[in-house]
Amino acid sequence: MAQVNRIPSGGRINRGKPLTFTYNGKQFSGYEGDTLASALLANGVNIIGRSFKYSRPRGIIAAGAEEPNAVMQVGASEATQIPNVRATQQALYGGLVCSAVAGWPNVDFDLMSYIGKIGGKMMPPGFYYKTFMGPAGMWPTYEKYIRKAAGLGKASKELDVDIYDHFSRHADVVIVGAGPTGLAAAQAAASSGARVILADEQEEFGGSLLHSKQSINGKPAAEWVAEVIAELAANKNVLLLPRATVNGLHDHNFLTIHERLTDHIADRAPSVNGVQQARQRIHKVRAHWVVLATGAQERPIVFGNNDIPGVMLASAVTTYINRYGVVPGNKLVVGTANDDGYEAAIAWQEAGREVAAIVDSRPSANGDRVKQAQALGIKVIFGSVVYDAAGQARVKSAKISAISADGKKLSGQKQTISCDTIATSGGWSPVVHLSCHSGPRPVWDKKIFGFVPGETHEHRLIAGGIRGHYELSDCLSEGQNAGVQAAEACGFKAATPRSGYQVAKTKTTSPMELYIAPHDQPLSRAPKQFVDFQNDVTAGGIELAIREGFESIEHVKRYTALGFGTDQGKLGNINGMAIAAQVRGLTIPEVGTTVFRPNYTPVTFGAIAGRHCGELFDPKRYTAMHSWHVAHGALFEDVGQWKRPWYYPKAGESMQDSLNREVLAVRNSVGILDASTLGKIDIQGKDAREFLGRIYTNAWAKLGVGKCRYGLMCGEDGMVFDDGVTSCLADNHFLMTTTTGGAARVLEWLELYHQTEWPELEVFMTSVTDHWATMTISGPNSRKLLAQLTSDIDLDKDGFKFMDWRAGTVAGVPARVFRISFTGELSYEINVPANYGLQVWNKLMEVGAQYDITPYGTEVMHILRAEKGFIIAGQDTDGSVTPYDLGMGWAVSMNKEFSFIGKRGMNRQDPTRDNRKQLVGIKTKNPSVVLTEGMAAINSKQFKVPAEILGHVTSSYYSATLGRSIAMGVIKNGLNRMGETVYYPQIDGTVIEAEICSPVFYDPKGDRQNV
Amino acid sequence: MSESTPAMTKDHGCALMNQYADNNSQAESPLVNIKWSNSAQPTVVARELSLMGHITLRGKPDDEAFLAAAEKVLGVALPGRLKSVESGEYVIRWLTPDQWLITLPGVHAFALEQSLRDNLSGHYQVVNVSGGQTLLMLSGANAENVLMKSVHYDIHERNFPVGKVVNTNFAKAGCTLRRVGAQEFELVIRRSFADYIAAWIQDSAAEYGFAFDSM
Repeated sequence: MAQVNRIPSGGRINRGKPLTFTYNGKQFSGYEGDTLASALLANGVNIIGRSFKYSRPRGIIAAGAEEPNAVMQVGASEATQIPNVRATQQALYGGLVCSAVAGWPNVDFDLMSYIGKIGGKMMPPGFYYKTFMGPAGMWPTYEKYIRKAAGLGKASKELDVDIYDHFSRHADVVIVGAGPTGLAAAQAAASSGARVILADEQEEFGGSLLHSKQSINGKPAAEWVAEVIAELAANKNVLLLPRATVNGLHDHNFLTIHERLTDHIADRAPSVNGVQQARQRIHKVRAHWVVLATGAQERPIVFGNNDIPGVMLASAVTTYINRYGVVPGNKLVVGTANDDGYEAAIAWQEAGREVAAIVDSRPSANGDRVKQAQALGIKVIFGSVVYDAAGQARVKSAKISAISADGKKLSGQKQTISCDTIATSGGWSPVVHLSCHSGPRPVWDKKIFGFVPGETHEHRLIAGGIRGHYELSDCLSEGQNAGVQAAEACGFKAATPRSGYQVAKTKTTSPMELYIAPHDQPLSRAPKQFVDFQNDVTAGGIELAIREGFESIEHVKRYTALGFGTDQGKLGNINGMAIAAQVRGLTIPEVGTTVFRPNYTPVTFGAIAGRHCGELFDPKRYTAMHSWHVAHGALFEDVGQWKRPWYYPKAGESMQDSLNREVLAVRNSVGILDASTLGKIDIQGKDAREFLGRIYTNAWAKLGVGKCRYGLMCGEDGMVFDDGVTSCLADNHFLMTTTTGGAARVLEWLELYHQTEWPELEVFMTSVTDHWATMTISGPNSRKLLAQLTSDIDLDKDGFKFMDWRAGTVAGVPARVFRISFTGELSYEINVPANYGLQVWNKLMEVGAQYDITPYGTEVMHILRAEKGFIIAGQDTDGSVTPYDLGMGWAVSMNKEFSFIGKRGMNRQDPTRDNRKQLVGIKTKNPSVVLTEGMAAINSKQFKVPAEILGHVTSSYYSATLGRSIAMGVIKNGLNRMGETVYYPQIDGTVIEAEICSPVFYDPKGDRQNV
Repeated sequence: MSESTPAMTKDHGCALMNQYADNNSQAESPLVNIKWSNSAQPTVVARELSLMGHITLRGKPDDEAFLAAAEKVLGVALPGRLKSVESGEYVIRWLTPDQWLITLPGVHAFALEQSLRDNLSGHYQVVNVSGGQTLLMLSGANAENVLMKSVHYDIHERNFPVGKVVNTNFAKAGCTLRRVGAQEFELVIRRSFADYIAAWIQDSAAEYGFAFDSM
């Protein structure tokens, strides 16, 4: 298809490099250097979407981030879909496939347009609140259709094939925006030697200079841009980030920058040397100083039917002509309230197409551009506005009228001028978004009719357009000053003091404050005057919202959806506030703004996730014996970040088969468990013993060297939070063990108390969790096995007793052996430096073969300890359980000289009252029924919902040792209810009967572990 | 291999234990199971200084006797905040205001531990953590880029010169990071996180070309 709107020369596109792309299933062509929007306009595509509520046809309005209509679904395959891409910000590449996001079933002819025709009446503001009040159950249905019709884009149904990553960066000065201001700032800051990052959201640096006809230092602006970029690129302290949107400016100058690395090249990020490149990258930047040079966005003038395709921003028209060589129509009417609008007409005329008229709301003007336009023979109509437009798929004519001196009323002659394009300029809105992200509200500047950044205590400077200073010479000098100032504040000195920039000053006439053209009908009756295009918010809608009582601008926003879309009201917010002010008889600053929040433009989920996905989502921690477990068929369970063997099924075994086999092996011969993941903390110092006494609930003063003791740790509230065995290695030296999941928290807990509460105690602690590999051999044959692997440890049952530890050599390796037991069997926990873990494990397996040594995993560890009634902190406790609730008052010593953490807490009124939930054993009446963990207990078989809940099951298993199910759980007053029956209702209505019993199901006297 | 006898050292109330096996030939570093895939033209090279002795030393930075005794044993004063020093076969890194990490050949770890205990007194801690961590060296023209993808700390040479040490994140794990050259860094990483960190490094470095130098 011919590019009907492409002019033969000019612009920054490469006519030698044509590119084809597909839009809504049709092929088009454009050139390298085009955006998707400029290419569509070159091809004369008028309609690029249907509006949100009324389904009116919409065209491209803008040329940048503020574009509300040209929102695209981009992607050639399901896996590469990206929704909500603004065509104005998407570089064209060969083979690009896109479709309009809005418009169902399609943009040129759609179902909703019929509704849209009558939609004015059907979908007033607050439509959703009013229409879809009920029934609530219907919401999912409503939502499905609203979303589909509204066109919010669709996420890919397949896994994204691209990768994304993150960079952490630091800089002295970050400059946001690489227009004239930003470039001048970067040049000045970089000359000082400071570390500078310059980021800009566009394909190229240069901002407005890319379509400017002005010259700097006697050279065309674009040449100056190229020179500055070359200078910056050669400076190793400067990082240039084009195609990188600073989406958030957070507290303490933390910036989040979204860089699109390959979105301009291809549908999918290409591979280089066989390595997949990242498609997008988030830079997480900390800066000493930030210079905001974000410029300004042009504000349209609101008028009747101002959404017909062909109505555009004047500056966008200039940009398309001068930067992309595209004249987006044949016959132009410009509606303006300032001199800037004239540029569009001048560019249009110079491109060889017809300008019907410039309609200037001011009574007169004689600035340079006005004169230039008049000299070109363009008709200028002063004191008038475009107040309405006609046309359906494209503008056909503009209705013009003279206005009263205050701009509030039409007066005098009306006329209709035939045209296909209406470009308006109501002035400029500084891009203040980033300046607001960390709190400051923008401030109304009545000189420029716009909001400028408010005061901030952060290290930030603003320069150029964001301050409402639009004259090129001002932008350059302010940028330069900001760059110098920021660098100096960081301790650098700009190397060569630069002279000012030579730029011809443009003479201008003051602009007029005009947001909405008056109409001969009142707001409520006039043709739709659109304020927010993406959300179909009209001036009449805002008036209606206020009339219905939604007066605050925050309420107006939520009632009408003003500023809610992916464009976040960049185009419409100020006009919306101005109209709200007009309706309420207030000034704009009295009406105020809504809050600007990150992100400035939408960010893909892929970029947010970075490489923290798939295999790299979270660390997986492995023990020294992990490879053995894998090789021997273990299935793994996640415990914290650790991968622990869960059980080791043999061929043909079910899970329960495997568990039964592993349990019986421990009870009858010997099993082996990789217990390396237990937290281990080495504690030294003359006050170590005292410290332990304060941390644990029980007494430590008399624990002898060579002995081990079990202890409970409580929080200040007296509730159990961790437990474990701590051994006395020497008088001033202890080894503490913690739960696997609690290791880091316990170490922090110890440091916290030592550093903040008891710094006078001479004690230090260091994690040795990773240093020691721990293997537990457990079962009646464990002593025989160990005896074959050590010659220097006396294993005599009276010399090396239960709860003793010894040092020596095991399998030729230095080891500490702890005779402690979590199974109730004769057990040895063998600790060796982890470098030797696998070799010792292998030796144990080799020598243990004669006893049919059986590896067991966490599931069997849980069963074995439950048979013995041993708790697991975090499973049988939940932060609301005191040692007494666990029936473990024996592990609390109330007589210690110094208090201990939790003592006061556990003696409060509530933890000491009657009828608390207490941990007991639970035996089902039917031994083959296994309770489900979490099941609630009630008092009788017959019950009505809600029934009083007595407690719940905390641990439940089938015990192969006992040939029946066993469980532990909490029951109100359970310790005093031994032998009584409780009931566990199931979802199917049946009830499981069970008896409260001691949690020690096996070997209650502990004979087996003491042999 | 057993507990030291009182005759060997003074009684310091702590258990002293030679944790280095007589036959060290089967010892395994935490990185033993990593499958490295090497590119032809790497600009990021990793190598491991495996099976080193790692000794954590803790003491109060205002305890003159502690500092003096440590200096006597190590032949150099303990480095201050964020610094490291090298002395003979020792590399000593500041970890926290009251904590240092000394690395040395694994076979000498016990002698150092003994010597420290013999010379130190009062409030201190010496812990052998050799099995729990390893040293991974990362070098090459793009080593900094890999680190910028992995740690939040500012590793620019102005802020992070040769010899400086910092404890920081490494992706979602942690590391002790030290600059040892213009383009070379040392990471002290924990054993249990080694697979994750190795996988992360290989992934981050892939675009630059990566190789593991097994020496």
